Amino acid sequence: MELFINRIFDGLSNGATYALIAMALVMIFKATTLINFAQGEFAMFGGFIAYVLATERGVPMWGAVVLAMVISALLAAGIERTLIRPFDPADHLPLVIITLGLFLAINAVAGIVWRFDPRAFPELFPSGNAASIGGANLSWYTIFTLLTVLVVAGALTLLLNKTKIGLAFRAVSSNLESSELVGIKVGPTLQFGWAIAAAVGTLAVAVFVATPVRQIEPNVMITGLIFAVSAAALGGLDSLGGAIVGGLAIGLVQSIVVPYVGVPSELSLLAAVVVLMLVLLFKPSGLFGTPAVERV
Amino acid sequence: MATAPRFQFTEGTPQYRTYKLIGYGILLLLVLVVAFAYNDTGSITLFDNDYKVSITRVTKAISFIIAILGLQVVAGFTGQLSLGQGFFFGVGAYLSAWLVSDHNWPWLLTLVVIIPTCFIFGMAFGIPALRIKGLYLALVTLGLAAILPSLILLDKLEPYTAGAAGKQTDSDLVPPGWLPLDGIVDALHKLPLVGSYFGDGDGLSSREEQRVWTFFIMTIVAVVCFKMVGNLIKSRPGRAIRAVRDNETSAAVNGIGLAYHKTMSFGVASALGGVGGMVYVAELGIASPGDFTQLLSILFIVGLVVGGVGTLSGAVIGGLVIAFVPDWASSTQNFPGVPERWLQGPTGGLILGLMLIVLTFVLPGGIVAGVRRLRARFVRVNPARPPLLTTGDPTTNALADSATVDAASVND
Repeated sequence: MELFINRIFDGLSNGATYALIAMALVMIFKATTLINFAQGEFAMFGGFIAYVLATERGVPMWGAVVLAMVISALLAAGIERTLIRPFDPADHLPLVIITLGLFLAINAVAGIVWRFDPRAFPELFPSGNAASIGGANLSWYTIFTLLTVLVVAGALTLLLNKTKIGLAFRAVSSNLESSELVGIKVGPTLQFGWAIAAAVGTLAVAVFVATPVRQIEPNVMITGLIFAVSAAALGGLDSLGGAIVGGLAIGLVQSIVVPYVGVPSELSLLAAVVVLMLVLLFKPSGLFGTPAVERV
Repeated sequence: MATAPRFQFTEGTPQYRTYKLIGYGILLLLVLVVAFAYNDTGSITLFDNDYKVSITRVTKAISFIIAILGLQVVAGFTGQLSLGQGFFFGVGAYLSAWLVSDHNWPWLLTLVVIIPTCFIFGMAFGIPALRIKGLYLALVTLGLAAILPSLILLDKLEPYTAGAAGKQTDSDLVPPGWLPLDGIVDALHKLPLVGSYFGDGDGLSSREEQRVWTFFIMTIVAVVCFKMVGNLIKSRPGRAIRAVRDNETSAAVNGIGLAYHKTMSFGVASALGGVGGMVYVAELGIASPGDFTQLLSILFIVGLVVGGVGTLSGAVIGGLVIAFVPDWASSTQNFPGVPERWLQGPTGGLILGLMLIVLTFVLPGGIVAGVRRLRARFVRVNPARPPLLTTGDPTTNALADSATVDAASVND
């Protein structure tokens, strides 16, 4: 029982990271039905910026994370403007190839600049355990990662529903052509989506590695992206709430189902891929997504 | 196209055949030069860096070329973006390593097992592709590619895969006694002017002989693969998969079985991936799990795009690029104007990533498209008129032209 509850807590705190990256993927998918294969690498790069600011420039930890979120948002906005916008958003192949190119290039730049040795990331949250439930320890880290997810989801919901640019973003996601006709500047609105996604991703990596158990290195998000993608697909690729549910569910599958079914732990990635495949085969719109209607 | 090209050929004429023969002759000459001039570790020195062009690297490139050829079938001609080619490459590599080292099979015989296994695996993966389209297919196949290393490391498979240490093999690709490789290289060494490039005059060591022989065998394997895929593309199923790529709905309306053709093209692509894996292990002598991550699958996509999507010759260029660029990038230790710090680490990945982005902007058809554009200024090949339509009626002739131009564009 104790082990079971501990596994639930582990699953939830892993799932929180997947949920955050999944939300970043959803932000971009909502508007352009494009999956940014470089999202995990964007996030990793942002995490490294936070690391450098905090450990080498002496910025207070949370200030460093916020600053890194702003910097990575600006970088992503720049990338969107120069590399993504020149292409027709309806034609996916060149865009996928561009994001794969970004994946390789960003991973390599991080490898050149910071090398591949793992580094300890400063802790963001109080250490130790908050409570003990049935003999299992609920750490502050788990509580705070889950809180972070809720805060980010709340902030994104407010941003999309209460601000003017949020309204424009929703209009563009609902119908690109019509929103252009009513005078919305589509390009900058999509750019805004990319910037927000990068900021959320940076936060996700900062939270993910802010525990003594994990360290930051350029390959930290290579498999994380696949977990996040299957989380986003499970929840529905255009639903922010779905991303949270999907992320936590994938985290739980990884930490509960995998050990109890007797699958070796290396295969938790396989579990995520199987979930992804089953969802796409039987319910391509996910749990909370809008079913795609194809016109011929 | 203001000026007419310098050379014009019409398909089917003797001049055209000579033109083609010269082309193939140059290719053959290149193969021989690579085999005999670079059988030891040859290198080019530029800015104090040694760029190695040894024959083993070319053999490695051949393995990538075959895998990318498979990707051309499924992604280039059927339009199904698969990021899972690395999975089948790895499966082929491990299967052949296991058969050769544990069961003493000859390398080429392992293809009898690899091709059907990868074909069936690939077809099984083509079945989801019937419902999963475009981006989603890319996602699922990327996941597939990502799980291979953890499958290899499974405890239960440890006796077969040798786990994290990698599966060692001994190459048995020894040239037959009747082949005078020594004599050839000595004869080439005696040539005036260029002779000094060929060997050092004392024949080939047994290691060098083995390298040359492996290279020849694998070149022949690759040529057979190219010939078969070339024929496939030009035949009825080839036209069917191109129709699926161009417009699924209209292909289905015209009576093309989408399910059959998609799963078949996945099968063919995966089988070629497996063959590539066999070549890779035969050259390297070891299969290790770290070589077959999703990064490899992405590299294959780089090769596909850099060479040119939907062209057979693009696979050759793409394979050479992804085999040589990372090696050359990491042997670049000093370059004028670039601080040394920036030349260490995964510079190859950076160059390939940037290449992918830049080419998508300036040359979406890949290097092959660029070469063709350049060649079109000097050489033009006019398609031969189909015999039934040469009645002199201008409208039917125009039709014949547009139909054959398409056939000619996939010809090489």
